[in-house]
Amino acid sequence: MRLLTHNMLSCNIKGVTNGFPLKIEATKVIEKQVDLNVDFLKNMFLKVEWKALVEASRSMGYAELPEEADSSLLGSEEFLKKFHHALLELHLEEGALICPETGRRFSVTKGIPNMLLHEDEV
Amino acid sequence: MSITSSKSLGTSLLPVLGIVPVFSARRGMKSIKVGSSARANSVGVENDALESPNGEVAAFSVGATPDIEKKYVHCVYDAIAPHFSATRFAKWPKVASFINSLPPGRLILDAGCGNGKYLGLNPNCFYIGCDISGPLVGICANRGHEVVIADTLNLPYRSDFGDAAISIAVLHHLSTEERRRKAIQELIRVVKKGGVVLITVWAAEQEDKALLNKWTPLTEKYIAEWNGPSSPRFRSPSAITLESIPEIDDSKCQNEKPLEPNGVSQGMVGPEASNNGKDVENHQEYFVPWHLPYHRAEVSSASASALVSGLAKKDDKKGALVYNRYYHVFSEGELERLVKDMGNAVIVDQFYDKSNWCIILERTS
Repeated sequence: MRLLTHNMLSCNIKGVTNGFPLKIEATKVIEKQVDLNVDFLKNMFLKVEWKALVEASRSMGYAELPEEADSSLLGSEEFLKKFHHALLELHLEEGALICPETGRRFSVTKGIPNMLLHEDEV
Repeated sequence: MSITSSKSLGTSLLPVLGIVPVFSARRGMKSIKVGSSARANSVGVENDALESPNGEVAAFSVGATPDIEKKYVHCVYDAIAPHFSATRFAKWPKVASFINSLPPGRLILDAGCGNGKYLGLNPNCFYIGCDISGPLVGICANRGHEVVIADTLNLPYRSDFGDAAISIAVLHHLSTEERRRKAIQELIRVVKKGGVVLITVWAAEQEDKALLNKWTPLTEKYIAEWNGPSSPRFRSPSAITLESIPEIDDSKCQNEKPLEPNGVSQGMVGPEASNNGKDVENHQEYFVPWHLPYHRAEVSSASASALVSGLAKKDDKKGALVYNRYYHVFSEGELERLVKDMGNAVIVDQFYDKSNWCIILERTS
């Protein structure tokens, strides 16, 4: 699971209003390098919840992102590299995602989050 | 926590944005034995039966999976996943052109992605796929795709995030209109304002009418029982025994000769049941068979259980296990009717292509 995906994932248990962002419990993290694409990053920058990305990347062992960011930073190559690295190159292979409101755990196995709900949660 | 570094093959962004090295086929996650009405997915989370221990039926929720889908969609796809995936390779031109028409750098959400056939199609876009089948999602992950196990009725995504969403041959596996409508609402919800949604479903109006003879229509009696709010407890599998029917798949790449005329079903579901004055062409609820060759079935623990529970039957003549998949095929205008009252999207295009009804929506608010 990349942090781009994590930035979109939300706990959708019935009645939950505060299901984002999911807290990350990282047991195994790997890095996979990919080339940077500026257009893509600019599009994604508009979508991501920045604080959630910062917190999530720290959970994965990466603390290089600035606490705050605005679009003026997109002109900085250094910033783009860090943003790119956090968003696309860190993979949570094993661990869990935890709902901030209910504490419900969603397991991540072989890089795949299981977000299925139980019958009483839909 | 351990962090290891591994370089992906190639150095371009393509592996992330679309083109990824094709990993050698691994089976992905194993299905877990199919019980009677409870079903465990492949990462060990129990899905509780709809029925509580004292026999009462849980309150009906649109998001709760009806038994007919558990048995005749979820369990089947879990059991046939590798074989199914091996037959899913042809990229449907209309879907391909939709995906390729999207501007570069866009995020595409594929709900019900199956084996990930369309993930990565346009190398300039990023894809996140989800499917309810653990084994199929595992196959996607083995190919390097970004995927999640999730229910298309309840996408675990915050709203307005995607640029586009696709639902290719998914909604016809949902057994009530309410669920089909909810699934469409979810697709719209997860894309941004101005985002687009492509939905394709099997049409009741099949180009090859001979195919309809190979499907088994469900009788109205069963539809009411399975879909109603007071849905009864799980039916005993022996009540529905279906003779083997030649397989068709939705890429229509196999053309099999029909069986001899007496290849009709016994029990309460069958063509003769539908011929009690009713026009078969108006029928929209079907079982469509899938033939899983024995050599494929032998390596799947799910198949052994499926035989025991009656979910699958042996066809020695074809050397295959026969599973049945539930379909609600769509009639002309049905997709349009479903979305008509949704105030936050408009229809941009709708068309019929290769026995599928298709619709493109744009989110407006």
